[in-house]
Amino acid sequence: MESQLLELLREYFPEADHIEVTGFEPIPGGYSRETYRFDAVVKSSMGEEHHPLILRKDPPPAVSILQTSRAIEHDLIEALRMHTNIPISRSLGHEMNAERFGEPAMVIQRMHGNSQTSDLFHDGPDVHHADDVMRHLCEVLVELHTADVSRIDPHGRLADPRDEGIDATTWDTYMDTTIDYYVRSFPTINYDPSVMTVLDLFLTLRRDKPRPLPLVLVHGDFNPANFLYEGGRVTALIDWENARIGDPREDLGWMTTMDILSNTNVMAHPIDEGGFLAYYNKLTGFDITQDEVDYFTLFGTANIAVPVQAAIKRRIDGESTEFMHLYLAQSAGGTVPNLLRLLNYPGVPQ
Amino acid sequence: MLEGVLISISTDILPNVVNPKAAASAQMMQSIIQGIRQLLPVYDQYLAEEHNQMMGVLRDVAGAIGDTSGAAADRIRERAATLGQGDEVPIPIGRDVLMAAHRELGFALQESMIDLDELQRAGDSAADAGLETIREHVGPRIMRDVQTFLVGDALLGRG
Repeated sequence: MESQLLELLREYFPEADHIEVTGFEPIPGGYSRETYRFDAVVKSSMGEEHHPLILRKDPPPAVSILQTSRAIEHDLIEALRMHTNIPISRSLGHEMNAERFGEPAMVIQRMHGNSQTSDLFHDGPDVHHADDVMRHLCEVLVELHTADVSRIDPHGRLADPRDEGIDATTWDTYMDTTIDYYVRSFPTINYDPSVMTVLDLFLTLRRDKPRPLPLVLVHGDFNPANFLYEGGRVTALIDWENARIGDPREDLGWMTTMDILSNTNVMAHPIDEGGFLAYYNKLTGFDITQDEVDYFTLFGTANIAVPVQAAIKRRIDGESTEFMHLYLAQSAGGTVPNLLRLLNYPGVPQ
Repeated sequence: MLEGVLISISTDILPNVVNPKAAASAQMMQSIIQGIRQLLPVYDQYLAEEHNQMMGVLRDVAGAIGDTSGAAADRIRERAATLGQGDEVPIPIGRDVLMAAHRELGFALQESMIDLDELQRAGDSAADAGLETIREHVGPRIMRDVQTFLVGDALLGRG
């Protein structure tokens, strides 16, 4: 893989006389892409430069949880870098020809900062930075949600990146077609009768829609593992593969879910502002209620549940041998009590 | 699921293990997991069968010693007259049969949910009560499953 990587880097650094790849090794974690860290040492007549980089590669289709495009992710990252101040890696380019790495891939800048965000919570070494980091994280999210979509996504490719018939013309069409996608996908995730709680979730979302808000660009996987920080500042918001046009409350709802699954407490900060939601409302004026966040906690859970549960079903049906999908069948259980609570199931502690 | 663990030990772990002792440990883990895989489907059935058979053995042993006298023989006859005379436990039906019947009913509840949703969207408030009935059954059951199966406080392999 390293020789193919060198070929690609020569395209990105055409002025280089010599390029070396050092420290190439897989990055553990990451539930959807295969990632590898390395340094590119680029020598040219201008001198020697060291570039900390990441190769981000698709897994084989049967193993892949989210079928997303590295080309769209590359274009989004570069548009965000050009038109916003959101801290984000530079994307050097993408390789959609699977012959080079076995699957499509992209090369992005490796940002500095601590990715062990659990250090900010409980007895972690950086708890004293939690308020400042989450304050900045909220400001970054607000900048994303108020970005000019026509500049970030001029060709409308983020309206339906999964190609599932989502119609983002209006809030109502977006919600209706997205929930239709959830309901229509149910047979692909129904590996056990107990998945009926997810069916109940989909059907309840369709019956109980909240008030509309303007559609925005959402991160789509806004969770405690997808940012880096240093001191009291976010140094990078990462993992943009599930970004799309959506309701801004989706990111708040998904963070709520992932706070539970990750044993973190992002939504409680910044404490002096009354928590993440209160500060978000102060910055945006959206006046989002906790009930609305609860609805979009369910909606966001559904959005990720479809591809994740489908991957679990493919594993159970023997279409793949990916062990991580079995682990997800166990670990995803951590979100079920909150899901049942939000659906007002009798006998579930509120 | 246990099969998945075995495959992962073979494909993800063993090829990367360089320490021979660690490799041997991984193979021993595979052996134990495979043993549990074989035991689990029949364990309850074997337990019940063996329980009932042991009652018979206690009675047969007492019969075999006949009129032998002495304290040891008296203790054997006592066991046959007490533990050997208890109620036999029912033998569980085969796990495959039980699982198939259980799944059929579970999928029937799913279909009922879809039908109730159709009624609810048509404004039938009685359907709300129907959904509540299913939720009353499913909620505690799913919570029990989660509490039994879940390990740890957070997703592994993330920040």
